[in-house]
Amino acid sequence: MLVSKNWLSDHLDLSGLSNAEFDDILTFAGVEVEGIEEMGVSSDAVVVAQVKQSDPHPNADRLSVTQVDAGEGELRQIVCGAKNYNVGDKVPCALPGAELRGGFTIGETKMRGVESKGMLCSAVELGLGADHSGLMILPSDWETGKPVRQFVANDTIFEIEITPNRPDLLSHYGMAREVAALTGRDLKEFEFPTSELAPANGAVSVDDQEICPFYTAVNIKGVSVGESPEWLQGKLEAIGLRPINNVVDITNFVLHELGQPLHAFDAAKVTGGIRVRNAQEGEKFAALDEETYELLASDCVISDQSGTALALGGVMGGLHSGVTKTSTDVILESAWFNPPSIRRTARRLILHSDSSYRFERGVDPGGVTNASALAARLIVELAGGTIEGPTLTAGSAPTLTGSVALNQDKLQQLVGGSISMKQANAALGRLGLTATGNGNWKVPSYRLDLQRHIDLAEEVVRVAGLDAIPSRNRSSAAAPGKVDRRYDLELDLKKRLAAFGFYEAHTIKLISDAQLRDALPLRPLQDGDIIRISLPLSEDHSVMRPSLAPGLLATAARNVRQGAKAVRFFEVGRCFRNAGGGKATDLESETLGLVLGGATQPAFWASKHSCHSDAFALKGLLGALLPGALVQFSPAKAGQFLQAAQVVVNGKTIGSFAQLAPSRGRELDLEFPVYLAELDLAKVVELRSGDAPVDELPQFPGSSRDAAMEAPADLANAEIEKAIRKQSEPLLVSFDCFDVFSDPSGEKLAADRKSIAYSFLYRAADRTLKSEEVDAAHQKLLKHLEKTLPIGFR
Amino acid sequence: MKEEIEQIQADALATIAHAVGEQELDTARIAFLGKKGRLTAASSGMKTLSKEEKPVAGQLLNAARGAITAALDTKRTALQDEADRAALEGLDLTLPGRALHSGNLHPLTQLKDRAVQICRRLGFALAEGPEIETEFHCFDALNTPPEHPARNEKDTFYFDSGKLLRTHTSTVQVRTMESQAPPVRIIAPGSAYRRDEIDATHLSVFNQLEGLYVDTDVQVGDLKGTLEFFYRAMFGEDTEVRFRPHFFPFTEPSFEIDVKLRVKGQDPRWIEIAGCGMVDPAVFEEISKSRGDDLYHPDKVTGFAFGMGIDRLAMIKWGIKDIRLLIENDARFLRQFA
Repeated sequence: MLVSKNWLSDHLDLSGLSNAEFDDILTFAGVEVEGIEEMGVSSDAVVVAQVKQSDPHPNADRLSVTQVDAGEGELRQIVCGAKNYNVGDKVPCALPGAELRGGFTIGETKMRGVESKGMLCSAVELGLGADHSGLMILPSDWETGKPVRQFVANDTIFEIEITPNRPDLLSHYGMAREVAALTGRDLKEFEFPTSELAPANGAVSVDDQEICPFYTAVNIKGVSVGESPEWLQGKLEAIGLRPINNVVDITNFVLHELGQPLHAFDAAKVTGGIRVRNAQEGEKFAALDEETYELLASDCVISDQSGTALALGGVMGGLHSGVTKTSTDVILESAWFNPPSIRRTARRLILHSDSSYRFERGVDPGGVTNASALAARLIVELAGGTIEGPTLTAGSAPTLTGSVALNQDKLQQLVGGSISMKQANAALGRLGLTATGNGNWKVPSYRLDLQRHIDLAEEVVRVAGLDAIPSRNRSSAAAPGKVDRRYDLELDLKKRLAAFGFYEAHTIKLISDAQLRDALPLRPLQDGDIIRISLPLSEDHSVMRPSLAPGLLATAARNVRQGAKAVRFFEVGRCFRNAGGGKATDLESETLGLVLGGATQPAFWASKHSCHSDAFALKGLLGALLPGALVQFSPAKAGQFLQAAQVVVNGKTIGSFAQLAPSRGRELDLEFPVYLAELDLAKVVELRSGDAPVDELPQFPGSSRDAAMEAPADLANAEIEKAIRKQSEPLLVSFDCFDVFSDPSGEKLAADRKSIAYSFLYRAADRTLKSEEVDAAHQKLLKHLEKTLPIGFR
Repeated sequence: MKEEIEQIQADALATIAHAVGEQELDTARIAFLGKKGRLTAASSGMKTLSKEEKPVAGQLLNAARGAITAALDTKRTALQDEADRAALEGLDLTLPGRALHSGNLHPLTQLKDRAVQICRRLGFALAEGPEIETEFHCFDALNTPPEHPARNEKDTFYFDSGKLLRTHTSTVQVRTMESQAPPVRIIAPGSAYRRDEIDATHLSVFNQLEGLYVDTDVQVGDLKGTLEFFYRAMFGEDTEVRFRPHFFPFTEPSFEIDVKLRVKGQDPRWIEIAGCGMVDPAVFEEISKSRGDDLYHPDKVTGFAFGMGIDRLAMIKWGIKDIRLLIENDARFLRQFA
């Protein structure tokens, strides 16, 4: 909200209070000053000058060359683009060196070859109004050569953020009341004209008292609509409003003066009195902003007795019912509308006005008739005419405030005894509350936010300031809970992945439908598993991600497009899906996602060949992440991927692995094989969380034996490993595959066979094994393998 | 015999001294000490010596063998050292090193962890809750009236089920109080969602850190002391922190927190960094209704709550001008936090 310091000064004396102090006082009372703009002429080098001569510019049709008397004893030549002046007029002249608004400084210059020693100014260039159509013509009695500053009032415009609980501050009088309370300065007495009230008895009717509990109308006849006087225009312009005509300007003035929205109807457009009714479902309403709105039955319409809509109650006037130059009789509305219903209407129609802004937050019910009386008197004063009859009323102003008790014990507990009751009481008194004994306070009608003890306590703290309350620290030990333990394990995991050369990604949890094809969920997605947002901002962000893979692939693609030769990213975060195909329960599961592809090593000057990461790189990484665990890939249906597998650890499936289809990779500019894995974070963390006792280091040396076997090409390593384990040879400590060989040409080995070689390590805990013992154990193992597998030894 | 041995030794030492390369050295070894070498041959002449001469000759032979062996070892070491040095000949140590794949935690994780560690020093435990929430947990329980602007579907993401994406992590306050008896002292870092178009300063999914402390006799001074501690630990011991009264539906009194930011080359300026306040009694009343007991009756407990944007904190801390950098995961950006 914009507040004019001059306007504010109508209500209290602000002398001696600097803008910075004003800012501080309000901001630290919760009324944040967001901007301060100095209006008017601050430079002494802008002076009153008289135009003595004006000739056409020799080289430019639209410019003139003027000779002006700026009180310097000799004439000053200035080139000027305006046409609205006559020789002899007085105008503002910025001399070289003058600093104008926006911080630019006037100098001597040549314009199209003609010397110009300064600038003649328009009102807007000086911050003295909105008129930029030509030079500002000054009154002829202003003394030539004197700084313009001496003749015009400067102003300061504050931009103030009013929190939604303080609608009472949405006016100059309301702000003045607050400033008075906070500074201890006296508020000037405001004398409202008195008005006679009388029930309307049909001349005004309200269908729904819920939406509009109180409606008043004043008839003013014989007004002459015209321009507002300068003081009124100036006030409105100062806060950025455009003057329209005297009657409309007065309603706007009273709104910004008292916070009560008013509306003036042209009585000639009203057939048989005012009727406040609900809109018809689908009713069309042409508003003052020249847009047409479709209404619902919950909207409030001000109509006449014929049913014609004149205004959208509390929100905006109609296009045809307002006061214009030809109006002579006026009906002045002042009413109180139910805040939620105004809020619903304004929000649904995205139609926000100064009126709706105030009504939806809550206007002072006690101020409805005062505002009406003030506006009516101003109309009679400024536009002539007479008030016909009493103010017609329908319903009554609701009583929304009352007596509230300030609980001394609770207040003292809240502030730790740092604010005395005397200070507290003084603060409430200054804010316009009246003590009625026993800690009870009568709340004025405009403070709708003060309903409970805590609301009063807040006021006390707000006025006292937080500096008054000393800081305290009552920290105590907190036992780590389940969430803490998991957080620590997750962080360990992330650090481990970072140490393996992976960047942690944070991708957006809302993805597009199209991205679902990249999903690699822990369990296959069924119909109805996808959770969609009802009203997404865009197609790109319309689905709750069921998998981290889409975001990680987008991350990979972005980095490759930026020149990355390898992609190594992980993300830890939530994935979302409906349980079991669209039943009501939604599941959020913490997931670890990985994407890997591209160069295994960063480029190096001595390396002649670079090599790409493969599926085994990702498998090896999982092995390193889960030390001591048996990580296996169990092939699964590839679906949209080139290949896929379940990640099985210690016999339990904990996630999925896939290789991106190269066709999809090319779409994403990923020109190398890309591998994805997605793991159930809880299970990964659990596997890493054990504090197993350490293995003692062996006391005796082991012996190793190698064996190369010839096997059918499609016999999986897993089958061979399984057979080896099944033998449970007590002396066998470990075994590793160290070579796989095949020859598609069939020359060295039949094309449907492969050679696969393992190294076996034998050891006993209590002695050095004899060579014969090792041989015996090894041969026994080989025999077993030969017997159970379709293999032979080479 | 003696002359012969001395001659062999002299020849051997001379040959060894002149040997170029390990192969020549080996040839020399064989020539003198090998099975058919000269010294071996000489020792076979021992048989012809008398009983008295034998020990003398034996000593001479051993001495010669020792001297030759020592010379061979010395020379071999020297040749090896020379070869080792030659292998480095011409190596340009100013060439670039072999790069490693670097990796690190996302800046938001780093900052979140820093915040978590500070709060833990103050005795806060971690808590969490779902991101797909009910209107009750997101609004009703937090004293947000049905007509409040935040509840509009232009500002909040809803689902057809009637649930919504939580607009703040304050939902975890409600969930925690529903399930735990007081006192509670928790923080809840997590995602929140608002229907904002993504631009340089807005994300529709952003990260918050929520805090709640409820106990008997929690005062405004506790709120102040806790958050002052937090920001000093976060930004430095001499960080200035100030509290401006503000309004939030679920706290009263409410404050916004500013810290004075000192960036090299800039004038210090106050930056709005968080919202906080004393838990509104209406929240405790809703919790009591939901729990069906009076452990959280507003006459028994008081509390404070705070919430801050982690993304915003990161932007302030590291001078990040475009919030989108935090979700784009460009390695050139992430690398800077390694």
